[in-house]
Amino acid sequence: MELYKKSAAELSDMLRKKECSAVEIAQSVFSRIEEVENKVDSYLTLCKNEALEKAKLVDKAFADGKELHPLAGIPIGIKDNISTKGIKTTCASKMLENYVPPFNATVVEKINSADMVITGKLNMDEFAMGSSTENSYFKLTKNPHDLERVPGGSSGGSAAAVAAGEAIVSLGSDTGGSIRQPSAFCGVVGLKPTYGSVSRYGLVAFASSLDQIGPLGRTVKDVAMLQSLICGYDRMDATSKEIGSPDFAKELKSNLSGLKIGIPKEYFGDGIDSGVKQSVMNAIKEMEKAGAAVKEISLPSTSYALNSYYIISSAEASSNLARFDGVKYGYRTPEYENLIDMYEKTRSEGFGDEVKRRIMLGTFVLSSGYYDAYYKKAKLLQKKISGEFSAAFENVDIIATPTVPSTAFKIGENIGDPIKMYTADICTVTINIAGLPAISVPCGFENNLPVGMQLIGNKFEEQTLLNAAFGYEQLVGGFKCLPEIV
Amino acid sequence: MKIDIKHIAKLARLRIDEQKFEKFEKDMQSIVDMIENLPDINEELALDKENPMALRKDKAVTNKFTREELLKNAPQVQAGCLVVPKTVE
Repeated sequence: MELYKKSAAELSDMLRKKECSAVEIAQSVFSRIEEVENKVDSYLTLCKNEALEKAKLVDKAFADGKELHPLAGIPIGIKDNISTKGIKTTCASKMLENYVPPFNATVVEKINSADMVITGKLNMDEFAMGSSTENSYFKLTKNPHDLERVPGGSSGGSAAAVAAGEAIVSLGSDTGGSIRQPSAFCGVVGLKPTYGSVSRYGLVAFASSLDQIGPLGRTVKDVAMLQSLICGYDRMDATSKEIGSPDFAKELKSNLSGLKIGIPKEYFGDGIDSGVKQSVMNAIKEMEKAGAAVKEISLPSTSYALNSYYIISSAEASSNLARFDGVKYGYRTPEYENLIDMYEKTRSEGFGDEVKRRIMLGTFVLSSGYYDAYYKKAKLLQKKISGEFSAAFENVDIIATPTVPSTAFKIGENIGDPIKMYTADICTVTINIAGLPAISVPCGFENNLPVGMQLIGNKFEEQTLLNAAFGYEQLVGGFKCLPEIV
Repeated sequence: MKIDIKHIAKLARLRIDEQKFEKFEKDMQSIVDMIENLPDINEELALDKENPMALRKDKAVTNKFTREELLKNAPQVQAGCLVVPKTVE
């Protein structure tokens, strides 16, 4: 039985019916990893022995008749910017090549306490900066649908592993689209939760006011199960919000009747590939046929969002990444003359080009004389964008857009042109700027490559969002997330 | 606006490779040109009341890490201390 092909919800049932064991599930996933990892390259660190040990403990607990969490025994891969005690957490950077955190991120504590089985740490763009995972210092991850193409980024490893059957679910992080964009490119489901709903404690910071950890999976229900586990208040994150302990999976409803869907015309404009546009519009039509009410809306400030995003995120990044100085942890240059020389050489040798560009941009927009022209304007625009979304949600329940303007591009195609790479985030950055939740679901193929539809919800309305995504998934009879890897 | 790469690099404690400098400067300038297009919004930047950041009660947190654990990640250690270049003459 190829257990790696099953969803977390199916495996959870099978474990309880004693149709398989947690060890068998882990073995199936690891033999799949052995089979395809040399083609896909989604992992930076594998934890096979620890995973099998954990699976044995889960089987023993089941045999002893213990009540376990629904996700107990389910293999999960974790993006390599989420701190795992005793397991290397590199952020795909030379700077943290040998860094082993002495503590767990809150989400990892939750995963451990639910007895999930951690398969390993997943590749990403260095410090989560990028849209193709090509900025990893260590390796290139390939798109399981076409090995010559990128998996998207920055959570490229998280999306590719789930699409390749190398993990049942995974965790990514999303600052401007880093969960949703790779989910769209790899044809899986990825949720960027509302800012403040998942603790960021232990997530290596990129842009603290925009970063959010979120789940990826092959079904909406799996994503809902994982989101229920990881969300909730945490004292260790000052921006974390008290939201109780919702069970999104239990409350899933597929009925789309009466759901009001807003279609913002700005997201279907010239820059969007016509095939992508068509696939997303077809999906919306399907939902309309099932009883949803579709309404055109306008989010006029969208065209400025990318500019505002790159100013705010880079400003925060330049500050957050100042901690990498070669003193207390991380890389230190071997030869230096004095303290300043050590700082400069350490940072220049430890960071890759894209990280340097973002630090430089952030330093520039915050530097003397430029603050008003850039940062202040961007923050005012952020307020305006949030206001436009709030106004839209007075009339609609969710908003539907393409996740990315195109399908997955070829490895190397955009890497020399940062501006071209940045435009891959044009449909996703607004959501982080406004702090909203959004999910990407597969909505068809264009030239055999997956297309993603982004559904956006109002703040803390994850249930509405997941219900809409679940409704669509049921309409199309489930997503075909596992391509043949050739 | 023109970006002075050498000055900004100095502020950011970065050095840009001589061989890569020209391309880096060109890329940075095109990024700056891209982000420049922002509307003038005639408002003051007020404190965001919607921000979920909440003040927390002071609570003593006992240090759960040992010195050894923390120093394991340090680039250079001597007698249980971090080694850094001399900063005072």
